[in-house]
Amino acid sequence: MNDMTPQTVTDAKKRYSAGVMKYAQMGYWEPDYTPKETDVIALFRITPQDGVDEVEAAAAVAGESSTATWTVVWTDRLTNCDKYRAKAYRVDPVPNAPGEFFAYIAYDLDLFEPGSIANLTASIIGNVFGFKPLKALRLEDMRLPVAYVKTFQGPATGIVVERERLNCYGRPLLGATVKPKLGLSGRNYGRVVYEALKGGLDFTKDDENINSQPFMHWRDRFLYCMEAVNRASAATGEVKGTYLNVTAGTMEEMYARAEFAKSLGSVIVMIDLVIGYTAIQSMAKWARDNDMILHLHRAGHSTYTRQRSHGVSFRVIAKWMRLAGVDHLHAGTVVGKLEGDPATTKGYYDIFREERNPMALENGVFFDQDWASLNKMMPVASGGIHAGQMHQLLTYLGEDVVLQFGGGTIGHPHGIAAGATANRVALEAMVYARNAGRDIWNEGEDILRDAAKTCTPLKQALDTWKDVTFDYASTDAPDFAPTPEVSA
Amino acid sequence: MTETADDTAPRPETVDLARAFEESGTREVLRELDEEMIGLAPVKSRIRETAALLLVDQARRRMGLATETPTLHMSFTGNPGTGKTTVALKMASLLHRLGYVRKGHLVTVTRDDLVGQYIGHTAPKTKEVLKKAMGGVLFIDEAYYLYRPENERDYGQEAIEILLQVMENNRDDLVVILAGYADRMDRFFESNPGFRSRIAHHIEFPDYTDAELLQISEIMLSEQNYDFAPEARAAMADYIALRRQQPHFANARSIRNALDRARLRQANRLFAEAKGPLGARELSTITETDLRASRVFRGGLGTDRARMAQAAE
Amino acid sequence: MRLTQGTFSFLPDFTDEDIRLQAQYAIDQGWAVSVEWTDDPHPRNTYWEMWGHPMFDNPDAAAVVFEVNECRKEHGSKYIRVIAFDASPGWESIRMSFIVNRPAEEPGFRLVRQEGEGRAVRYTIQSYAADRPEGARYA
Repeated sequence: MNDMTPQTVTDAKKRYSAGVMKYAQMGYWEPDYTPKETDVIALFRITPQDGVDEVEAAAAVAGESSTATWTVVWTDRLTNCDKYRAKAYRVDPVPNAPGEFFAYIAYDLDLFEPGSIANLTASIIGNVFGFKPLKALRLEDMRLPVAYVKTFQGPATGIVVERERLNCYGRPLLGATVKPKLGLSGRNYGRVVYEALKGGLDFTKDDENINSQPFMHWRDRFLYCMEAVNRASAATGEVKGTYLNVTAGTMEEMYARAEFAKSLGSVIVMIDLVIGYTAIQSMAKWARDNDMILHLHRAGHSTYTRQRSHGVSFRVIAKWMRLAGVDHLHAGTVVGKLEGDPATTKGYYDIFREERNPMALENGVFFDQDWASLNKMMPVASGGIHAGQMHQLLTYLGEDVVLQFGGGTIGHPHGIAAGATANRVALEAMVYARNAGRDIWNEGEDILRDAAKTCTPLKQALDTWKDVTFDYASTDAPDFAPTPEVSA
Repeated sequence: MTETADDTAPRPETVDLARAFEESGTREVLRELDEEMIGLAPVKSRIRETAALLLVDQARRRMGLATETPTLHMSFTGNPGTGKTTVALKMASLLHRLGYVRKGHLVTVTRDDLVGQYIGHTAPKTKEVLKKAMGGVLFIDEAYYLYRPENERDYGQEAIEILLQVMENNRDDLVVILAGYADRMDRFFESNPGFRSRIAHHIEFPDYTDAELLQISEIMLSEQNYDFAPEARAAMADYIALRRQQPHFANARSIRNALDRARLRQANRLFAEAKGPLGARELSTITETDLRASRVFRGGLGTDRARMAQAAE
Repeated sequence: MRLTQGTFSFLPDFTDEDIRLQAQYAIDQGWAVSVEWTDDPHPRNTYWEMWGHPMFDNPDAAAVVFEVNECRKEHGSKYIRVIAFDASPGWESIRMSFIVNRPAEEPGFRLVRQEGEGRAVRYTIQSYAADRPEGARYA
């Protein structure tokens, strides 16, 4: 690779004479560059068109995501252009993927506006993804320097304070998405919320596309849901919540809905990823100012996160959302119906919940990342999970997670409250067993069967869903398998 | 909620005591005790007997022949410096390996750690100590000071009542060892029958012989990378014989103190005499003069002080 | 009504051995365990009465069971919970909390509605037991 690599043109007269020049020659390829502690680093997976050299392709990505245009411009010389040029400094072939390369690119901190995901993403995933010399391009990971992390608010509430507000410690939280997604009237919708919360769940949830439709306008939903929440709270002595989706067509309308939710005493509101980064940051600020937990449903993410060759990895979205300031974000279940292998999912969960992420290639985490005391995000696991998987869920996902059983609650043969109770008993029995030192991975089914002896709803749940699994190959597994030493 | 293993596991038909002896690590602890501690033959044999008893009890419980946790509280009597604390440490480790205490740590206290200064102070203090010792062994040194019959309002009585209660109700949670001089312990048990009935094992610690103390002194020195010059060893033997007849003799503890002072004199001597560079040899040798300079060879550690101490008692 | 706050409320009531196992887990995580009681179990009553300080230096959970039983002697007709505090960075909060004692009768809570503008209703939750003065709420 080195023999073929074009050298940077250092003679200023040649470098800035009008015309077209290779990106690598313009200074966007600096193999000797050592990233500064304050640099933003992006790792791209690049698939160059046939005949395009990978170094030139990496340099082009660096150029197009920072200062370059297709031709030389003399106005570069009016700037401190060496500083503003992004630098591709390392290109590695992707293991077992011919034609694909990992390109490491460093960006000076001054290229970005403080506290703006919109500005960060406009550079890093702006023009560059449509660039012709590349067949495909994927943003795999980013290293965000502490100096930049500190310009963001971070999660409005965070795991610690969320638990303190809910008065709930030591076990995963339980939730359910109200089903059917569409068509229930406000009154019928509130019934589902009441039954599920009274039966033992901590949360219920609007689905992503429940906003304000002819069958149920938003105020109706909010009013009936909050009656259900308060009734359930009085029936159990617990703090309960329902994620009221305030997603709407304008910022003004979202604020109006969030204010109404607050006036009714809701502890949590919800938005969809499709409202955009700026709207998310605005709602995070509103949530911090109004003591509200902010749930984000990652609606739409699979359009760009799922395919391995092109788009943006979910781990990058997770990092952006921790900066942007949401409290809850869906992050996969491993065992349910939606995408996610165990190793990659662990990488996401670590990004959500840890103070500091060390590099972990086996989990798809390419950089050490320090979160500079930004609050932790609560991951949400939902989609095709049921009580019979409790031992797997607790093992894979740990304790600080919301487990959402939608169908697994509402589809219970003896009703919604029975479904909720089954889930709560299964969860508590599993946490109890783990704490008591039992091997829940191997003894999980026995533990559940024992718990079902004193809980008929759990027995019914186990019988109903005993054979349901979703065992498909993942489309987004890590590229690096752990060596035996690492996994031991 | 809890299902203990005993409810479900089938009972064995036979037991292999030799294997239990090996696998529980009992053998290992007894070997350490033998190797690390000089003399103490009667103590060692009592501990060996206790270990055997506990192994058999364990086997009986596994076969369903016994259910109650045996009373394990003990008294260690003997003069100061006869190895009571060190043996208590070994005992804690033995009880832990045999599964009679869950953690196996040793908490050592005296009256001051248990008894408070004013009303309402004693119960929390005693409970705090008991809680710290739970899962392990509580060693109460000079336990008889808890009981002061001359003072009716003494708070020691309150500590005694709590101790007795916990010794009875929490037999699974901790083992109490009461320690002190044999005669005073006897009197203490006479006036506190509650204690006597709750102590299952009495172990007496004899004084060390002169030969044993000499051996101990050599081990203590070598642990600190020192040794005796040939004529110093004889001086140490003389020292031991003389010291035993003087007041406040405390067996191994007196030896440790004597060696500490000898090292001090050695250091001073090296400063005074040294004319050139010193080698490792000189720096680690205790000579006869370092020992013979002791007041023990001149009639004792101040007979005045001994008389004052007696008057105070 | 059964108050279902805490880590384990849907399991059968805890025996001393259950308490010991779970408290030992907390101690082994390096958390300080404490005992608290109340006769006002409102879901937002954050501060139950402390039964002594958190136990920072007790290696064995028998100490927790001991204090729970001491607390029961005085407050056996009320709610008692065991709480574990984690002082490690990024947490500095409670990591576990479970009820170990309940009143024989749990009267539960009344939901008070205040009709407001439009169709909005303000809800307040009141413990039936709290109608009586502190100390006289449970038999």
